[in-house]
Amino acid sequence: MTLATQERAIWLARNALPHEPALRAWLSRRPLAGLEVDDIVQETYAILAALEAVDHIQTPRTYMFEVAKSVILRSLRRSRIVAFEALAEAEALVPPSAEPSPETVAADRQELSRIAALIAGLPTKCREAFTLRKVHGLSQREVAQRMGVSENTVEKHVGKGIGVLMKAMGRGGNGRFQASKDRSSEDPIEVDHDPREQRRH
Amino acid sequence: MTTIRESSADIDAAAARWAARVDRGPLSDKEQADLEAWAARDPRRAGAYAKALAISAHLDRAQGLSAAFSPSTHPVARAADRRRLLATGGVLAAASVVGAVGYGAMSLRGRMTTSKGDIRRAPLSDGSAVTLNTATTIRAAFDGKMRRVDLLRGEALFDVAKDPARPFVVLAGDVRVRAVGTSFTVRAHADGEVGVIVREGVVEVWRGSQGKPVRLAAEHAIQVASLGALTPTVVGAAAVDRALAWRQGQIDLDGLTLGQAAEEFARYSDRRIVIDDPTVARLKMTGLFSASDPDGFAKAAAMSLGLTATPRADGVRLSRG
Repeated sequence: MTLATQERAIWLARNALPHEPALRAWLSRRPLAGLEVDDIVQETYAILAALEAVDHIQTPRTYMFEVAKSVILRSLRRSRIVAFEALAEAEALVPPSAEPSPETVAADRQELSRIAALIAGLPTKCREAFTLRKVHGLSQREVAQRMGVSENTVEKHVGKGIGVLMKAMGRGGNGRFQASKDRSSEDPIEVDHDPREQRRH
Repeated sequence: MTTIRESSADIDAAAARWAARVDRGPLSDKEQADLEAWAARDPRRAGAYAKALAISAHLDRAQGLSAAFSPSTHPVARAADRRRLLATGGVLAAASVVGAVGYGAMSLRGRMTTSKGDIRRAPLSDGSAVTLNTATTIRAAFDGKMRRVDLLRGEALFDVAKDPARPFVVLAGDVRVRAVGTSFTVRAHADGEVGVIVREGVVEVWRGSQGKPVRLAAEHAIQVASLGALTPTVVGAAAVDRALAWRQGQIDLDGLTLGQAAEEFARYSDRRIVIDDPTVARLKMTGLFSASDPDGFAKAAAMSLGLTATPRADGVRLSRG
């Protein structure tokens, strides 16, 4: 399994995290014989993390849904005995079409205030360490010095904070949508242009 | 299976601890190896780790936007962090430009070809995209009035960008397919027939010689021979998806006979599946198989249909007994 790189994590934060609530909502409306939504979501992230390149993904939301569908189909096919109906139903799953993009900025703001509320709910020491590290951008070592605790303790606090946000994000109702055509750009090819057209430009 | 399955909540918690460790600073070789070994045990772990890392990165990105957190801000640290992020972005952008130039050099005056067993997806200059299946050649020529693509051989999926002023027309032999903004495949069969499947939108299909177009809506298909009426059939979304399994390097065998399946595999590979017995060739198959593995398919078919698969120098023979 290929581990996520920092660059991929940033991409996932922008392009996968915002769609996880919608994906979960979609998955939980379907009959998924013997499959857990949590497992499907985790495997979906694993595939997105292991993709060789992501620059070609123009509609991350649709892409993420398609990946989740492929996870379902794969696990159904892997199990030796599958009810025909379950397989047929899974194959017939059609990811909802992307909705027109609302004001992303407003959604970003909303999400920040949500994150703020989540952080505010952490235990005191944990909140302090997490805030210094993640909101104010000190290194874990600097946080440790400032709080007079060990770096290991700071690492535990940060881990706790990430864990709380993992649980909260993706399950909340902050679905954000993006619209665009699903297009790849692995091998751009040049198209013959009529010289007349070029003159018009 | 009697092993107890690790809960996804436990996996998330472990992943969060790893992300916090990475957040602290570079891992030692030992830690890196431990992390990799941990993630390799279950794809769900690798996925949870990716999400934890994403959340960690997400918060870094959000720095400074959250005024709700008052205590002692560190503008210096914050600015430095933002500079680091910007620098990373710049390098990435530069890398993708280099990539685009490198690939662009492969095309020759609008022509694009895949060899046997290859699949390639490429954007066109109008914002459309084309995906070429195995052994396919197209030529694209756009002007102010029309976006013309010749399908010289093989099969391709067209995701067409909307441009009402310039119809998008695919020419396959005598057959014409016109779209404004939609997604459809055209396949030029070896015997001269042309198959069209519409995934989204509407296209019009006609023969160049007799200009009466037939409208084809989403989830409809048509098979055009050199003569005869043009009659679309409804195929449904699931069948469209299956017909596009080649984009994932797979062949959809649903409803095909073994003989037809062997022909399908021959499109993708020079390894042959030889079937002499016509009663064997008529056996029906189902499922999705990797297009690049005709031998594996022959073995699986032999197992499930009670046949014998005999290896040959150029492939495999399927027979009874």
